[in-house]
Amino acid sequence: MSFLDSVKMALRSLWSHRLRSMLTMLGIIIGVGSVITVVAIGKGGEAVLTSQFAGGGNNTFEVYYMPPDEELMDYDAYDDVAYTTEDLRAIQEMPSVNQVIAYAYNSTNVVYHQEAAGAQILAINENYYDLNEFTASSGRLLDNRDVDNGRRVVTLSTGVVEELFAANDEAVGQIVNIEGVPFEVIGVHERENQSFFAFQVDELLLPQSSWPMLYGTDNMDMLNVQANSADDIQIASHAVTNYLNDQSTLSGEYQVLNMEEIEQGISQVTNVTTMIIGGVAGISLLVGGIGVMNIMLVSVTERTREIGLRKSLGATRGNILLQFLIESVTLTTIGGLIGIMLGAGVANTVSLIAGWPFLVSIPVVLLGVGFSMFVGIVFGLLPANKAAKLDPIEALRHE
Amino acid sequence: MIHLKNLDKQYKNGDQTLRVLNDIHLKIEENEFVAIMGPSGSGKSTLMNMIGCLDQPTSGEYLLHGTDVASQPEKELAKVRNAQIGFVFQQFHLLPKLSAMMNVELPLIYGGVKKKERRERARLALEKVGLEDRVNHLPNQLSGGQKQRVAIARALINEPSLILADEPTGALDSKSGTQIMELFTQLHHEGATLIMVTHEQEVADYAKRIVTVRDGEIIKDRGHEYVVPR
Ligand SMILES: Nc1ncnc2c1ncn2[C@@H]1O[C@H](COP(=O)(O)OP(=O)(O)OP(=O)(O)O)[C@@H](O)[C@H]1O
Ligand SMILES: [Mg+2]
Repeated sequence: MSFLDSVKMALRSLWSHRLRSMLTMLGIIIGVGSVITVVAIGKGGEAVLTSQFAGGGNNTFEVYYMPPDEELMDYDAYDDVAYTTEDLRAIQEMPSVNQVIAYAYNSTNVVYHQEAAGAQILAINENYYDLNEFTASSGRLLDNRDVDNGRRVVTLSTGVVEELFAANDEAVGQIVNIEGVPFEVIGVHERENQSFFAFQVDELLLPQSSWPMLYGTDNMDMLNVQANSADDIQIASHAVTNYLNDQSTLSGEYQVLNMEEIEQGISQVTNVTTMIIGGVAGISLLVGGIGVMNIMLVSVTERTREIGLRKSLGATRGNILLQFLIESVTLTTIGGLIGIMLGAGVANTVSLIAGWPFLVSIPVVLLGVGFSMFVGIVFGLLPANKAAKLDPIEALRHE
Repeated sequence: MIHLKNLDKQYKNGDQTLRVLNDIHLKIEENEFVAIMGPSGSGKSTLMNMIGCLDQPTSGEYLLHGTDVASQPEKELAKVRNAQIGFVFQQFHLLPKLSAMMNVELPLIYGGVKKKERRERARLALEKVGLEDRVNHLPNQLSGGQKQRVAIARALINEPSLILADEPTGALDSKSGTQIMELFTQLHHEGATLIMVTHEQEVADYAKRIVTVRDGEIIKDRGHEYVVPR
């Protein structure tokens, strides 16, 4: 008896009990499907996390101030953090540094006629656009001439425009008041490549050179540094933090996010997650497999006479064993394939909505198929062996 | 062709032993048509199962074509059943989800015959039993007599040297029963060896030789010079 004949026979018998076969597969479908979905979502999330922490791959790191432990929860501890023009110039001169991206920020009100809107103001120069891409949905963005000439111009985010003006293009050319100083609106800006979960802040961008006019200082609050190359990130971050900590009179410390530590942390989280998923997958496949075994045992009992007849017609124990094993493996494999398709579908939908890369990998799919086949063999063995061992006479006499 | 010597079959039930076949001696030659009769529970089916290699004797010898099949391993017995023996059962035992054609094909599948040849031979076998127009019918679309003819086609398909029928007309009305017996007679004329269990004298009369069994022993063997040793 050829293997192909056995497979055809198994398919025919599964097809003749379509509903039951479907229900039996359900455990496997759900098990494999959820594993594929969760793994894909996890991978997508990991990819997004890594790319965000890695500064979008443009060798940029952020410098932040870490107060001593006892002041951690104290907002005032951060108030004295300031990067002076000299600091920034010194850092810019470091050989490993390509450019310095510094900005100042504050929360304030923008006033237009009688209307006021709360917003973040960011004092920037053109370098800032390297941290985050911007587009102008109306008018234009700030450029270096605005900064160099100390122009009193500003761009507004869409949220601010909506609060103060009837339409986008009405804002351009109008004069708004910030901290009592009039600024001309030259454009409406939007942040590009925002990830799904980042919310849009109401914000104003204005030239760094106009900051002293508002707050009486040209110190910057935030510092990002772009290294010359990926290899220079370590050197640059040491140089920058050493320089800042030497200058500092504060009790805390200037630090840089250590990429290596972060990547290790991410992959540790991913490993733990993978193990948990593996455990859940194992349990669901175990439950699915027990379901398959249960139904196969029922099927063997129901088909006792069929087994007796087949034996009387010349089927060996091996033939019968193979017939039932192939049935259970076919059942779990088809279940696994349906599960993979469902899981990939769900993962694809999620990644479309979240804007993540679609990451159903071929090894995961192969593993899913392989595992479902394995479950079919393991849990098919007992029923198949029971069938093979039946005594043909008693089987034929079975009511 | 068939030679049973000192054949015993016992069933152990707790500490009780039930002697179902008791020192059976039986010789059946090629192209014989034998009916086995006897009261219910006398051991007729057990004897048939033994001859059909479905069951093993407790003691004694069974020679089929001169080879001792009783001592063969299970795999060999399956091969013997497949190639040399055709079974016909009282309850037909057709697989309900398979067409007449596919039911008839089954022994060829286990015999390793290629699909094209299987189809061809199954068609011929169904033709032989007069069911060429029922090839694709399912068993429950057939009458009792037609079902039994499909079962006979299945028994014939491997051109076995021996056809064993345990009460083949037991579940049929007398008209279908007569048709089946005419078919058997025809097969006998074509050279088949047939052994058949029956309760009905008219059915047994189709056979040339009637063996009567009682309490596991052969008590009468009419139409045969063979003398039952006691
Ligand atoms: N597996 C078994 N275990 C114990 N006893 C059995 C077994 N199989 C058959 N028997 C007994 O063997 C005896 C003969 O059974 P068998 O089926 O051969 O009778 P039979 O002559 O075919 O009867 P019938 O005409 O009713 O078909 C019966 O008494 C039966 O109870
Ligand atoms: Mg009987």
